[in-house]
Amino acid sequence: MAPRAQVAPGLDAPPAAAPAPAREAARRRWRRLARRPPALAGAALVVFFAALAGGAPWLEPVDPTQTDWAQIRKAPSWAHPFGTDDLGRDVLARVVWGTRISMRAGVLSILLAMTVGVPAGLVSGYYRGTVDQIVMRLIDAWLAFPFLILAIGLVTILGPSLTNATIAIGLGATPTFVRLTRGLVLAAREEEFVDAARALGAGDGRVMTRHVLPAITGALLVQATVSIPAAIIGEAVLSFLGLGVQPPAPSWGTMLNTAQQFLESAPWMAIWPGLAIFLLTLGFNLAGDGVRDVLDPREA
Amino acid sequence: MIEFLVRRALISVVTLGLISVIVFAGVRLIPGDPARVLAGTEADEAGLAEIRQKYGLDDPLPLQYVRWLGLALRGDLGESIRTRQPVAGVVAQKLPITLQLALYALLLALAIALPAGVVAAVRRNTSWDYVASGMSLAGVSVPNFWLGIMLILLLSVRLGWLPASGFVPLWQDPVQNTRHLLMPAFVLGAALSAVLMRQTRNSMLEVLGADYVRTAYAKGLGGRAVILRHAIRNGLVPVITIVGLQLGALISGAVVTEQIFVVPGFGRLIVEAVFTRDYPLVQGVVLVTASAYVLINLLVDVSYSLVNPRIRVRGGGDGA
Repeated sequence: MAPRAQVAPGLDAPPAAAPAPAREAARRRWRRLARRPPALAGAALVVFFAALAGGAPWLEPVDPTQTDWAQIRKAPSWAHPFGTDDLGRDVLARVVWGTRISMRAGVLSILLAMTVGVPAGLVSGYYRGTVDQIVMRLIDAWLAFPFLILAIGLVTILGPSLTNATIAIGLGATPTFVRLTRGLVLAAREEEFVDAARALGAGDGRVMTRHVLPAITGALLVQATVSIPAAIIGEAVLSFLGLGVQPPAPSWGTMLNTAQQFLESAPWMAIWPGLAIFLLTLGFNLAGDGVRDVLDPREA
Repeated sequence: MIEFLVRRALISVVTLGLISVIVFAGVRLIPGDPARVLAGTEADEAGLAEIRQKYGLDDPLPLQYVRWLGLALRGDLGESIRTRQPVAGVVAQKLPITLQLALYALLLALAIALPAGVVAAVRRNTSWDYVASGMSLAGVSVPNFWLGIMLILLLSVRLGWLPASGFVPLWQDPVQNTRHLLMPAFVLGAALSAVLMRQTRNSMLEVLGADYVRTAYAKGLGGRAVILRHAIRNGLVPVITIVGLQLGALISGAVVTEQIFVVPGFGRLIVEAVFTRDYPLVQGVVLVTASAYVLINLLVDVSYSLVNPRIRVRGGGDGA
């Protein structure tokens, strides 16, 4: 245990950073980010897909579930730039609308993982002792289920649907956030600003939420940018296996599942949805690398 | 050392216990009569009564759990609803296929990742590094099932070089066996290879900056000798752990890969079991997978601590 910092009575808690230096730091970070073209390209990809997801009704007014028996498995053309699928549906429309499902599943599942994982990790790392031991053993057990096995088990119990797939992915990602938060808290609680806050009479709850949590947010955000693409792939995998989004909803994974049956006659059905997953994941990974570099305190 | 091993083994036992509770509770969470869940929808009254009696389904839950665990520990994981075969037997029959696939994938991944990672680190910021790092990034980002489908499209449909699906047992025809497993193993190993390459590069960079490597250079040793004899040895230790940590991803990947290439292994078994609502089979597979995962990680940790004494101290502390 580090010796308690001596704080003169009446002195206020040191503010995290004065406004002016904060703005200066933000600008410095932006300049560092701007010097990394791959990170910017990644961010641009993510923004592009986010715009697709948000603007799908305006950008792609074609109904992605509209079947057309006269247009079955047609190769790409002006009318259908990505071709049509086995039910005559427009592949481009399905890819665009599929972005919504992927983004929603990716972001919501990681939000769920953070909502459960961060408080658990905070408490575990802050109090240590028995609470910590119990949480960590639970996490060990949880981690012993490989993601897909866990998801399959949960979907078996809950039934296949997008919501349940999202829950399964979120629960699968939770241990990562518990462990990461705990590790960060273990390091942060030895810092002098924590001692100072405690010396000033702040209670455990206040120290955790107002002093420790802000100090570790950066690292948690980096983990989130790494986790979201994994979650997006997770949703695609579950839907590909038939355990996630159910037809006729346009999920990239479901589209690939169907496409596999028509590889010889309609390869375009397999190319576009997969390319979309690849590009979106790549975008997140590139942007995540950039964010990590920028937020890494060792380089600051 | 002994204390560390005992402690580590105890933690594993606790973990295994929790896993069994989770799996047991999971099956009880399935809506409906547990006897019906375990016996299947087509079971008659006699079949239901038999299941009820075997698992003591009229007893209180803790007692049911103990009875179920006792049976599981003796290798009785119940019967598949669909085929009426013992679950343990089915698992034992499918497991070797997946293990062979996973082994090939691991070997392929290492064969690609280690040289690429070392070269990328030694030639940092050259085009070698950029190509290797770029491939690694692509490998992490590409969804393996799409990679699999694209490879089938290229190598099977277009070029006709490799079979698109199916499996031939090793003892029947080793050549055909390898031909059938080549694509699945590559697809399964791609992501692992990407992760391993990154780790190899990072830890090699760290080692190359260390004092003892500088000393080795200062002694007048040539670049190749320093890298091969001094740097690689320590640089690869963290890579072992990553292999252990990636095991779960490998199992998950195997489920998908087997589905794409119609390899009749463990992964296909569990997906089929889910679709046919073969709950005892799902339960058995999940239990076996999680337990195997814990035991393999225990082995990885122990072997790791034998290689690197510093771990013992760290791992013995507060379980960090």
